[in-house]
Amino acid sequence: MRISLHRFLTLLGTLACLALAQGIAQALDPRVDLANLAMIFVLASTLVAFWLPAWASALFALTSVALFNWSFVPPRGSFQVDLSQHALLLGTLLTVCLTVSLLMARLRREASLAARRAREAEQIQQLGDVLRAAQHPQAMTESLDQALGALPSQGTALMLLNNELPITDDPLAAQWQGVVLSPAEQIGLWLCLRDNRAFGAGTGLHSELPAWYLPIRGPQAAWGAALFRLDPLKNPDPDLQRHAQMLCDLLGQALHRHHLERRTAEARAEAEAQKLRSALLAAISHDFRTPLASILGAASSLASQSERLSDNQRRTWLDQIQDETRALTAMADNTLQLVRLEAGQLALRLDWESLEELVGAVLARVRQRDPQRRIRARLEPSLPLIRVDAPLFIQLLENLLDNALKYSPADAGPVDLVVRVAEDTLLLAVKDRGPGIPVADRARIFDMFQRGQGRSACRGSGLGLAVCRAIAQAHGGSLSVRMRGHGGSSFELRLSLQQAPDMLTPAEDVEVSP
Amino acid sequence: MMCVLLVEDDRDLRALLRTTLEVEGLAVHTAASLVEAQALIRHTPVDLVLLDLGLPDGDGQTLLDELRQRRNTPVLIISAQPSDARKIALLDAGADDYLSKPFSVAELLARMRVALRHRGTTLRPAITRYTHEGLDIDLSLREVMVRGQKVHLTPTEYKLLARLVRNAGQVVTHRALLADVWGPDCIEHTHYLRLYMGQLRAKLEREPAEPRFLLTEPGVGYRLADPIHMRS
Repeated sequence: MRISLHRFLTLLGTLACLALAQGIAQALDPRVDLANLAMIFVLASTLVAFWLPAWASALFALTSVALFNWSFVPPRGSFQVDLSQHALLLGTLLTVCLTVSLLMARLRREASLAARRAREAEQIQQLGDVLRAAQHPQAMTESLDQALGALPSQGTALMLLNNELPITDDPLAAQWQGVVLSPAEQIGLWLCLRDNRAFGAGTGLHSELPAWYLPIRGPQAAWGAALFRLDPLKNPDPDLQRHAQMLCDLLGQALHRHHLERRTAEARAEAEAQKLRSALLAAISHDFRTPLASILGAASSLASQSERLSDNQRRTWLDQIQDETRALTAMADNTLQLVRLEAGQLALRLDWESLEELVGAVLARVRQRDPQRRIRARLEPSLPLIRVDAPLFIQLLENLLDNALKYSPADAGPVDLVVRVAEDTLLLAVKDRGPGIPVADRARIFDMFQRGQGRSACRGSGLGLAVCRAIAQAHGGSLSVRMRGHGGSSFELRLSLQQAPDMLTPAEDVEVSP
Repeated sequence: MMCVLLVEDDRDLRALLRTTLEVEGLAVHTAASLVEAQALIRHTPVDLVLLDLGLPDGDGQTLLDELRQRRNTPVLIISAQPSDARKIALLDAGADDYLSKPFSVAELLARMRVALRHRGTTLRPAITRYTHEGLDIDLSLREVMVRGQKVHLTPTEYKLLARLVRNAGQVVTHRALLADVWGPDCIEHTHYLRLYMGQLRAKLEREPAEPRFLLTEPGVGYRLADPIHMRS
């Protein structure tokens, strides 16, 4: 049997201590009697029991008693013992030395075991905390890799499934981490994963292997497997294996939790999308039908009763067809935009835009629905450029103005469009003198398919404000409603301003005041 | 008689447009597919093309590209809501203008008139005089009058205005304006345009927030309102 260096050194130390005790005893020999010399050896074996392992201190005890007998017990230089005089002394000496060294060894083993348990408990707690805080399986796996790496091993590796368990052992179906593996080790990890069972040295299963293969266990199946290479010269430590398995199981539980959370989030998103789809379907089936009905009504009346209608009547029907078609187009635009915004599929095309221009473009479109010119635009002079997606911003503004026209009676007064800058925020307000919005409705009006109550005369898909809010949010802004002092509501868009890029004015362009 | 090629795959819309154009006294050829349109354009002299993009056998832009290699026949795109990027690409590819469906007949006829005026069958010199609702611009004299009052413009403002006058009634893309007025290095600097258009409106428009001359095509470019009188 090969004796390891460690054992050899321990043996040397034992002998050195023995020699030291012997030396001291010999130095004291002429001055003290036999019983006191024996105490030197008791002291020595007690002291060495602090450092030496049990086998070495027992060896020390036996050897020191033999040495004492040989060197000091008369007749000196022989193992002969005067039974009546010294047998008791030697017997007591042997018993005390052995008892002390064995007790000391047990005490030390228990103390070291307790310290190790505490370390392990702390490591488990730390890993648990890290796993709970981690958002991604990758981070979780790395934390286990680190935890296993902190244990005494000849190298560790992890294999984690990406998704489902593949039919064949496809290395691409899993994430690999840690030391480079031999083909046999890879096969071992797959086997461990598929069987969801630990094996390797000292486990009673494939005990000939110089490593542990530990499954990363979830409640149903393994999520992966860990390899724990061992020193082939040392006996495998079952406590260490239990601890490593516990660390692996922590990851397995964390992965399971993560999996459940993701499934829940997916289900929730799917439910939301489903809700949006059914709401849109409801809008299409109900709100789109209304303008379609009046178009068909007017057109069929013109087709079948044309001769009996007055010129005036015919004109009205024709106007109605045009108006309703425009309204339908706006509703189609809103629906489409909302679906895109809600789905997050819309990439904003941001550019530096002039508010004056944007307002101008909106007014050009809205004036068709505003024959009495109720909209009054009041723009602060020299407004800064804003960075927005022009068509979306125009849609927002158009919806707000249309709403104001629609929900405030024609004789209620003007609709004011106010744009001004307060510090680094742009405030755009559309103010009407309509009936306002009841407190109970204020929070809901920006939701989809909510319309002001009790105004069946007004039509719309209830999408307008939802689109407005989605557009405002996509630009990092906010849209809110406030009731005005003397009746009516004020819809207010707030947008934080950015510094527009510098501009070089050509020298020839500098205005010279006359 | 002016001859129009109408490329549109929807039967009802095709019939409707054909009737309205014939009522206006135009000769109309119709095509329902790309192949049909390609064949027609090879054998028939056409003064203007109305082109739908989504055709059953391909994209209408193919026809535009083929046409532009040989002729400058005006092409108006009629399409279901193209994106801004698409509009710009079409204008760059040589389309004269675009109309998003649905559109009114009045709008269509107005756009057709503008397109024909700019690139009629006979080559005309560039437009140098623009008169519309009190705004009078004479490029040969470098003179701009608002309601009889002479207006002073800076050189850049004048260059910008002149560029729009030459395409009066048509949309001119941001890139085209920036390249022609500021130079090809500046095609990304839309904020130049915003500021100078603001200055021009302040000088020429009665209500800058509701312009009647310098119209904005959001996300695409600018259009000088289609004038009633224009001389070359």
